[in-house]
Amino acid sequence: MKGCFLVHLRNMKWDLDEFSAMRKEVLLGWPTGAEVEIQEALGYHKNMPETKIFSDRLAKAEESGVTLTQPRAGVALVTELIELLRYLQDVGGADLLPTTIDSYTRLNRYKEAQTGIEESRTHGRSMLNGFPAVNHGLAACRRVVEAVDVPVQVRHGTPDARLLAEITLAGGFTAFEGGGISYNIPYCKDVSISRSIRDWQYVDRLVGFYAENGVIINREPFGPLTGTLVPPSISNAIAIIEGLLAAEQGVRNISLGYGQCGNLIQDIAALRSLKELAKEYNIRFGYGNVAITTVFHQWMGGFPQDESKAYGVISWGAVTAVLAKATKVIAKTPHEAVGIPTKEANASGILTTRQILNMLRDQSLPETKELNEEIAIIKKETRALIEKALELGEGDLALGTERAFQAGTLDVPFAPSRVSAGKIMPVRDNYGAVRLLDFGNLPMEPDIKDYHREKIAERGRREQREPGFQMVIDDIYAISKGMLVGRPRH
Amino acid sequence: MGHQVTVVLGVIGADVHAVGNRILAYALEQAGLKVINIGVLASQEEFVNAAIETGAKAILVSSLYGHGELDCRGLREKATEAGISDILMYVGGNLVVGKREWHEVEEIYRKMGFDQVYPPGTMPEEAIPQLLKDLGVDGVGGMH
Repeated sequence: MKGCFLVHLRNMKWDLDEFSAMRKEVLLGWPTGAEVEIQEALGYHKNMPETKIFSDRLAKAEESGVTLTQPRAGVALVTELIELLRYLQDVGGADLLPTTIDSYTRLNRYKEAQTGIEESRTHGRSMLNGFPAVNHGLAACRRVVEAVDVPVQVRHGTPDARLLAEITLAGGFTAFEGGGISYNIPYCKDVSISRSIRDWQYVDRLVGFYAENGVIINREPFGPLTGTLVPPSISNAIAIIEGLLAAEQGVRNISLGYGQCGNLIQDIAALRSLKELAKEYNIRFGYGNVAITTVFHQWMGGFPQDESKAYGVISWGAVTAVLAKATKVIAKTPHEAVGIPTKEANASGILTTRQILNMLRDQSLPETKELNEEIAIIKKETRALIEKALELGEGDLALGTERAFQAGTLDVPFAPSRVSAGKIMPVRDNYGAVRLLDFGNLPMEPDIKDYHREKIAERGRREQREPGFQMVIDDIYAISKGMLVGRPRH
Repeated sequence: MGHQVTVVLGVIGADVHAVGNRILAYALEQAGLKVINIGVLASQEEFVNAAIETGAKAILVSSLYGHGELDCRGLREKATEAGISDILMYVGGNLVVGKREWHEVEEIYRKMGFDQVYPPGTMPEEAIPQLLKDLGVDGVGGMH
């Protein structure tokens, strides 16, 4: 099972016979795997109305220049999930729906997920933080997809999502989040990059197979990573790499994500450079036929407990998403600080977001010196990170990614994974933009390092303190305490 | 300065929230404690074994993702079976799925055998004085 025929990690499209051989094993992972019949699944997708196909909805939005809304949501049982999704569609007005998968399923712990299902039935409330789709199986997934009028995406955090992808895609979902880096580093403790990239090559090869047979599934690398002061060039580089790895396996429709940091100029610059650079790299490697859209995640870090304050954070995310011209925005809820939201709170987060998207849809931020400077910096850094990975892999991006993490030339702050060197340390500058206090082993030019250093020093002077870990902690808690920049407390 | 009191810190179950764990470890060390941080994705057995191996006086459990009820049940019994029945146990975070009254949540976890239960958003400096008191340690005396 552990890639017996693929000895070396390589960024090369899997041979269909090898893929099919592995499929047989994957589908044995849980009894519901036996329900998957790919030809039947292709037929099911082809009969689906266009309004329920994720890639079509994204293309229309892109064409008309509007930003779509999507919440996160998932509960343990099918009937309750349907009720929740319908509510978010009908009351919240969500343009796109999710099905968030529970944490046991994300770790392939299907037995524990089964306990969660049974306990949820006994207690009459969801004991799981999402929908255990593998346990429920194919027919249940189709009940969910058929119960709503808009496209539905699988959202999760699964390093080995092969079986989950098989069941949910055959189950009629038309979009699938994740990737070999973005669903490893922030979600695992000890899974190797070669393992997770390989398992995600499988998912992408499956999506590629659907595409070859006329069914376009949208794929979305998870942009925000740890959601904690991740500098834009880091998340952009990883998103672009994952997009390229997916394209090689035949994926034709990709949404690249970015998590809001909080400084308007930096966030807009980040999303714009993400899209521009992704297109550039896709063309360079021969994937010019891949449709690329963008996803903006409203603030992923700690939220204020007070609901009115939380709406403020949600609104600021909505403003940034629409001014950055994101194809879709993932909306947060006023319950973010206290856990998994009620359906009412979830809907109100979408409604708040929609109001702002509508009010700002005809406005845009003028091109300014500051914006262009930020775009130039982010692009330069992102290129440095990707080129270093290519160099370490001797031209092979999959191998290069593995080696880049080993060398720390790719590194993610505050990651639970041992794979990430954890040597970099981010902090906000005087205007709230995220900079690097410690570059670890990132391959940045001296002028870039000086730029960050000067920006951080400026804040240090203002606050009359030496930038250090306390400043970082203050930044991590700042938004939940009503600020963006974590100024010293007296 | 007497010898340092040891505590075991970790995020239980299938939970991978690493940020608060990192900050708590830092804050607990600043308060003069010896922190055995078993990190995220920690099982009940790992908490108990770490406590036994290091002679820890407290087990500090975090859970941010909602499955805490399923994950924490039986931890106190495991500790008792392992012969450390009097160890202090704290828990904190987003401890249930959905919005529920805090006193209900606290009650659920007290019944499971936790000595202190903290709601989401509790800052380290709010919980640490209680911990030091329960441990019988006199604050930051000589710890810097």
